[in-house]
Amino acid sequence: MIAARYFYVQVIWGGKLVLRAADQWNRDIPVIAARGRILDRNGVQLVGNAATYSVFVRPRSVSDKNYAAAVLAGVLNADEGEILKKISASDRSEVTVARQVERDRITELAGYALDGVYFAEDNTRVYAYGDALCQVLGFTSSDGMGISGIEKMYDGVLGGQNGSILYTTDIVGNQTEDTRIVYNAARDGSDISLTVDITIQLAAEQAMKDVCVSSQAKRAACVVLDPNTFEVLAMVNYPSYDLNDVPRDDPATLNSLSRNTLVCDIYEPGSTFKVLTAAANIQEYLNGNGAAFSPTYIFNGSRTRSVDGTTVRCWSDHANGKHSNQTLADALNNSCNPCFTDIALALGTQTFYDYLSAFGLGNVTGIDFAGEALGMLVPQSLVRDCDLARIGFGQTVAVTALQLACAVAAAVNGGNYYVPSLLKGVVAEDGVKEVTPVLKNRVISGEASAMLRQMLEGVVREGSGKNAYIEGYRVGGKTGTAQKYENGGVASGKYVSSFVGFFPADAPRYLALVIVDEPQGAYYGSVVAAPAAKALFEDIIAVKNILPYE
Amino acid sequence: MGSAAYCRPRGDIAILACTLGMAAFGCIMIYSASSYVAEVQYGDPFYFVEKQLVGVVFGTVAMFAAAMFPYGRLIKLKIPLAVLSVALLALVFVPGVGVTNYGATRWIGVGPVTIQPSEIAKYAFVLFAAAHFSKNYRRARSIRGVLPVLAFGIVICLLIIAEPNMSITMCVGLLMLAVVFLSGTNLKTFAAMLVPFVIAVPVLIIAEPYRLQRLSAFLDPWSSPKDEGYQLIQSLYALGNGGLFGVGIGNSTQKYRFLPFAESDFILSIMGEELGFIGLAIFFGACLFIIWRGIAIARRCGDPFGYLLAAGITLVYGIQVIINALVVGGAIPPTGLPLPLVSSGNTSLIITMASMGVLYNISRGERAVPHNAAQKAI
Repeated sequence: MIAARYFYVQVIWGGKLVLRAADQWNRDIPVIAARGRILDRNGVQLVGNAATYSVFVRPRSVSDKNYAAAVLAGVLNADEGEILKKISASDRSEVTVARQVERDRITELAGYALDGVYFAEDNTRVYAYGDALCQVLGFTSSDGMGISGIEKMYDGVLGGQNGSILYTTDIVGNQTEDTRIVYNAARDGSDISLTVDITIQLAAEQAMKDVCVSSQAKRAACVVLDPNTFEVLAMVNYPSYDLNDVPRDDPATLNSLSRNTLVCDIYEPGSTFKVLTAAANIQEYLNGNGAAFSPTYIFNGSRTRSVDGTTVRCWSDHANGKHSNQTLADALNNSCNPCFTDIALALGTQTFYDYLSAFGLGNVTGIDFAGEALGMLVPQSLVRDCDLARIGFGQTVAVTALQLACAVAAAVNGGNYYVPSLLKGVVAEDGVKEVTPVLKNRVISGEASAMLRQMLEGVVREGSGKNAYIEGYRVGGKTGTAQKYENGGVASGKYVSSFVGFFPADAPRYLALVIVDEPQGAYYGSVVAAPAAKALFEDIIAVKNILPYE
Repeated sequence: MGSAAYCRPRGDIAILACTLGMAAFGCIMIYSASSYVAEVQYGDPFYFVEKQLVGVVFGTVAMFAAAMFPYGRLIKLKIPLAVLSVALLALVFVPGVGVTNYGATRWIGVGPVTIQPSEIAKYAFVLFAAAHFSKNYRRARSIRGVLPVLAFGIVICLLIIAEPNMSITMCVGLLMLAVVFLSGTNLKTFAAMLVPFVIAVPVLIIAEPYRLQRLSAFLDPWSSPKDEGYQLIQSLYALGNGGLFGVGIGNSTQKYRFLPFAESDFILSIMGEELGFIGLAIFFGACLFIIWRGIAIARRCGDPFGYLLAAGITLVYGIQVIINALVVGGAIPPTGLPLPLVSSGNTSLIITMASMGVLYNISRGERAVPHNAAQKAI
């Protein structure tokens, strides 16, 4: 019977027992993989690493706990009682006392040669520009895992693979005499480069900060695209926070400050949306659709339209000859609502929705950023004429800022809708792997796009977008002002002031959408957002050294 | 059966050789199991093995002395040894003399020497019972005749259980049953004797609930891996690591302070780890050899005292080996019981070696003839 029992335990059960026991026989010290850096499109380092160390203690190996606690507290500038409590834990074989300690401190600590105290490299993320691009870049947990933004999105690329040093120990973690050491090398993470241009980003940061202060707005946000590739050149959400000092202790604040509203939140665009309605009309006119309006057609000068028994009004009172004898170009200049109602109704639900769908409304753009919102578009099967009449000038529809910027970019770049992107390339061992822009679909023809660009240039030169005009440069754009909704109704006195603009107008290289949320006092897009866009464009002209047109 | 011709005057040399071999083997295993712990705790890897070697020297002297000493004269020691053992067991409870370890007071300290009186008591009981029954042979069939042996046994048991030391109490209990059985008692008396044992088990468990915890830990050691189950888990890890052929002498992993009592009560675990199932099988073979020789010596012996003494000595050895093997293998709940001749611990070693000397002396059969008549009564 005894022999049978021993045969069972040793020979049959043995393998499983050894697997269980291996856990107590071996200790491993992690070898932290270096996290990849994040660069801008020109190779400027946005996020890097500083060599720091974790300090950990094996309580059972510490001979004089009081002394050890005093030394640790002194060097690490921490509470002695707390450290003593940590290193007195009898139920833990290993406790982490501090993370991300600088090298000098470690050198000092090593001088005391405390028994039972160990160090391991842990690396700290360093964000070269602090606040800039913070919602996009995101941050990491204290143990180096990406938990938001790009840091999370590309964690698999940046993070690499931690290695370990495995060695056999006695019960309290001392190495055994003939210890077997197994070294698993860490595989470092790869560097990545973003489409963002840090010089443009900084210019946009400054412009948003300025407009937010001058208009006493709640927030200001801005996205800058390269309209020819839909690469994101800048993304600003102001106010922001310092990535090197993440307010982790205040989750509510952190949550609101770390939100990339340009991608994740929707708003009613208002008049900036008229660019898309105009684009649809021009293309349909060129296609020979008799319902579309010719560029020379003079719209009805009345202030109101009656649709389905509801009345659509222009924001202007049309008194004293205002908004009279308007062509499409004039309607854009004046941002006259009834003209765009006429277009939407004339094209009809089917045709108009085909364009809205091509412009990506009601759908994600597919940008490589988590949490993108869909936007809100009344389903085609449910849309009534009174809805269509308002969608024509940007009401009864909600978009993300990125959606609108992309749609306008496609309208003015010759008609190509690309998938917007933040990742430019991955620096792998065998060279840089560049991400190439993906063409999603065509929206309008090159000819229609050229006509639209001309009209939008006019808006800035002589229409409602005048405040974005830059002497010697060809800037096109459209303003927008929308009322905010709260709890299902219009919130009085709360506006979203916006401007979407691009330059040079004949061959756009930069497209920016500026959104100022709840400006105090003056609230029209032409007064609040257009000057901010102008400031941004002027900065881009300066840093990119772009020569005037004339 | 049973004529004088079976008692070889030369005696059973094999039993002495086997005992010495086991003791020497024990030293090697103790060194292997304890060198790391000894180095860490005492700064001397030879700490435990040096102590054991002292025991082997004294044990060898005691064994040869006993082998030369006519065992018949031991009968005179019946009362003195009984009194001495009870006195020593009682002394354990005298503050300043008793030595407490791991929550139990089982040792008495005299200067640098510590003695475990329960080790002596086992043999005192064997001697007492053998002497009593050989003198009052027929009375073993009545309860009254068995009573003195029973009384002495129960006194010893009570003193040992108070230490507390459950396993040696069980040993002595089993010993009592076996010796009375071998003395030729009848079934009625034997059955009557069983009653207190049946009562004792629940009483002991109620008195000290930790025994029940140990029992449940034994059924599923991983339900309390850090407390009651720890010892058993570590023992199983050692055995499992050994597998069929073992990891080789000196290569144990569990000796790195994972397995408590690696050099004493659980040395069999380390043996299983280093020598494997095959090695343990050979070791158990050697144990069986000693038991077999002991039984043969008892059977051949024509003298009732010699017969009972030889049987008793063999029983003490055999019971300890079996219980220790069952505990280490996780077949019964863990208790603190040494593996005789191998585990570190000098009291047990010296006395067991001496008892083997007595066994040898009995095998020489010098007192066999005069009691030939009595033998027929068996």
